Amino acid sequence: MMRSHPFVKAAAACLFFILLIGPAEAAGQERFRKSPPAPEPLPELRLPPIERHTLSNGLQLAVVPRPRSPFMHLRLIIQAGEVDSPENRPGVAALTAALLNRGTAALSAADIEERIEGLGAVFQASAHMDYSSFSMTFLEEHLDDALELLKTLLLQAAFSAREVESAKKAMYYELVEKSRDPEFVANRHMFRLLFEGHPYAKIAYPEEALTAVGQKDIAAFFESFYKPNNAILVLTGNLNIGLASRKVSHHLNTWASRKIERDFIPPPPPNKKLRVAFIDVPRSRDAVISTANVIMPPTGADLLPFLVLNHVLGGTTGSRLFLNLRETNQYAYYAFSETEFFRTCGVFRTRARITPDAASPALREILQELQAAVDETITPFDIEQAKAFLIGNFPLRIESLENVSRRASLIALFNLGEDHWNRYYDGMRRVNLNAVRDVARNYLQLPPIAVIAGSRDRIVDTLRNFEVVQIYDAKGILRSTIVKGVEK
Amino acid sequence: MHRTWRLQAAAILLGLTAASAPAVQVRPQNAPAFPVERYQLRNGLEVILAEDDSLPLVSVVVAYRVGSIHDAPGKSGLAYLMGNLMFQGSDNISPMQHIHYIEKIGGEFNAMTAYDRTMFFQTAPAQHLALLLWLESDRMLSLSLSPASVERSREALIEENRQRLGGDPHLSGAQIFDRMLYGDYARAHPLSGANEDLNRITYQDVVAFHRNFYVPNNAVICISGDFRAAKARELVARYFETIPRGLRGPTPPPPPYEAAAVSQTLTETLASTPGFHMGFRFSALQPGDIHTLGIIDYLLLQGRGSRLFRRLVRRDRLVLYLSGGLEERAGVHAYRIFALVNNEVMAERSQKTIAGEINRLKTSLVSETELQRAKNMFRADYLGRTSTSLDKAIYLVDHYLDGWTFASPVDDLDKYMRVTPSMIVSAANRHFLTEKTVLLNIRIR
Repeated sequence: MMRSHPFVKAAAACLFFILLIGPAEAAGQERFRKSPPAPEPLPELRLPPIERHTLSNGLQLAVVPRPRSPFMHLRLIIQAGEVDSPENRPGVAALTAALLNRGTAALSAADIEERIEGLGAVFQASAHMDYSSFSMTFLEEHLDDALELLKTLLLQAAFSAREVESAKKAMYYELVEKSRDPEFVANRHMFRLLFEGHPYAKIAYPEEALTAVGQKDIAAFFESFYKPNNAILVLTGNLNIGLASRKVSHHLNTWASRKIERDFIPPPPPNKKLRVAFIDVPRSRDAVISTANVIMPPTGADLLPFLVLNHVLGGTTGSRLFLNLRETNQYAYYAFSETEFFRTCGVFRTRARITPDAASPALREILQELQAAVDETITPFDIEQAKAFLIGNFPLRIESLENVSRRASLIALFNLGEDHWNRYYDGMRRVNLNAVRDVARNYLQLPPIAVIAGSRDRIVDTLRNFEVVQIYDAKGILRSTIVKGVEK
Repeated sequence: MHRTWRLQAAAILLGLTAASAPAVQVRPQNAPAFPVERYQLRNGLEVILAEDDSLPLVSVVVAYRVGSIHDAPGKSGLAYLMGNLMFQGSDNISPMQHIHYIEKIGGEFNAMTAYDRTMFFQTAPAQHLALLLWLESDRMLSLSLSPASVERSREALIEENRQRLGGDPHLSGAQIFDRMLYGDYARAHPLSGANEDLNRITYQDVVAFHRNFYVPNNAVICISGDFRAAKARELVARYFETIPRGLRGPTPPPPPYEAAAVSQTLTETLASTPGFHMGFRFSALQPGDIHTLGIIDYLLLQGRGSRLFRRLVRRDRLVLYLSGGLEERAGVHAYRIFALVNNEVMAERSQKTIAGEINRLKTSLVSETELQRAKNMFRADYLGRTSTSLDKAIYLVDHYLDGWTFASPVDDLDKYMRVTPSMIVSAANRHFLTEKTVLLNIRIR
């Protein structure tokens, strides 16, 4: 008979005792509680293919199958946005989009609303820089009704004087209301300055500009651009390209194409010298700093390294800007950075909501963080953390039908390639330190436009330590310039 | 999304028959089909698992059966404060690190305190399920409470309340109307508390509240998304099984119903637009009433094609802003309408129009077309409640907290769809009584 080693016996007795009293009490704290568990291996991301087909009238159709969803999402993109509004009529694209469901030759706005609600759907319309979009989510059995409604809106559009005036009034007061928010004001003024002299500046129109827009401008814009050969229709849900082609063709084959004429738009040049501007938001309790510069369009190899760079700088509350401006210096309620892409370029911007007294030091910290990224302070650890977030977060951003439709439409709109999102994981994994440092040097080396929006009384004096500061009134008109501390 | 709608609608799509029942899969018309497994740990923690491998994501929701109805008189805001304190760290996680752990892996998180429940939720890449369970179990087992952390959270909440009241000129009116509509302190006091009450809350109050309510036998955890059930069961057992049971506070019973109509006028100093709150407090609902009232809500006020919107906003142009709906606070149901108007004459005319529309519901049968519009909207909203893995987890947790009515099978949605015009007339006559009207007129200085 084998004899147990005394130590083994003691250990066995101890184990028995632990089992008797339960693990929590025995250890004080179970060992597994002391540190975070390791993740499982990264699961495969099986994204549905985007199925594409172009109908005989030139309408591009894209389908993203989601077989388990009881809903379908329809998203129509018209490839004309604010940049296509007439030179002296900014806001035409936004008003045309807002008016599409406000009446046809046979249906009033109220009739259309009731039809949409009859499908259990919500209709959304918006105009962007290069395109306008219209979307509806509805239960799958209403696909034919939804397409028929879309046909009615497109083929029998009527922009009645009453609805045009009503839409102008609503949009005007919406902009007036937004003009009390320093973040909106800073962002709009930033676009105004960044794109000064370029057609993209039209996106930053003031509310007064809407008064010049007439019924004829809207009808002409619609007639010029709302054509099938200038449109992309994305359907997401329980269907395939074959079924979708048949149904869309059945409902929209009488939508006639027409040659689209538009001027060539070159990419706007980046800002080359630091430009600091203040814009007044009377009685605002907080201030907002927005900095921006032009970067590359979303089509090249720089995209993924730049997204990593953006994340390191200001993607979340764990990123450099937030930690610096809020946690360390307590200047800001929040501080983030983000990218926005247009057909010819992108824009990289930072935004921080701050206490007004901190405007000057907060702006200096933002500029230093941008410079630090150029100066190669980004480490391999920063890169891996950012990649972990961007890879992990990706499925969340394509979970809803609306989001997956939006992404599919942008892939088609910007010609990002059929396999764009299936390349995302691999492409992101391959991003390395050199690639991120390269994009930092290429795109952050040039100093940005910086706009501070807030109450003039509390901020302007604190900005005198910048070499030149332009002072704009609440309407966006340049009123004075501070040069070396002296206001002129 | 308003309360009753969500809670009641959340019930009964899933046909489970017993705790620890095997997974079942049922799909009524258009209803999402997903298998659900439900069981209980020895310490009383309820566990719900819902697998769906559409995307490599997993959501974890932990809900405690505690909310503002458990705030003691004079200590309003305690439940809300406690919800905030759950991010202040625990034995193995330093303050706010819960958030940073989730953000580092690309996940999203949030928390919510309601009248009778408090939820913590997060969605993350599927491979991090163990991390989410580790985070939630650590704060369930060993939340770090200290006088300093209570003080910090109290100050933040007081400031938040100040900003909220300063930023919304009609908030104080809504709070007064809550008191008129619900009557009792438990249901009518503001979720985030009155600042003078928050100042009365002591560290000992917080500790006792936590000990009573933040315990496994007063909680439910739901995991939804891309995982294997066997692995999830193993992880839940590992992280939660040894957390000891605790006390569990009682839920106050609904107060006795009082039928008298109430009308008051408030002069608002911050508001620039006059308006009014109008409401009906319902007596105890009969079986099936909730389905009919849910459809009435869509006929009356939900959507721009609803009767009140068409009349008040579109046709008669009496109202500038209109909102409201059916709601429930811990077993008591009510209907509320809020309108902003140009002047007091408009307010009076609007109130008469509302009374007329409610009277029309009582006396005329609604047309099939109009009823279908309401049902289609209702159905889309109902099914939309399980669109994402997080939606699904919240839906299941709500369903559990509302009693997981096994006696009613999978046809809950069908019950709404089977509401007839005559059922609407009957329910409107029984619940929308003139003598139950509660009215608060808001004048501006």
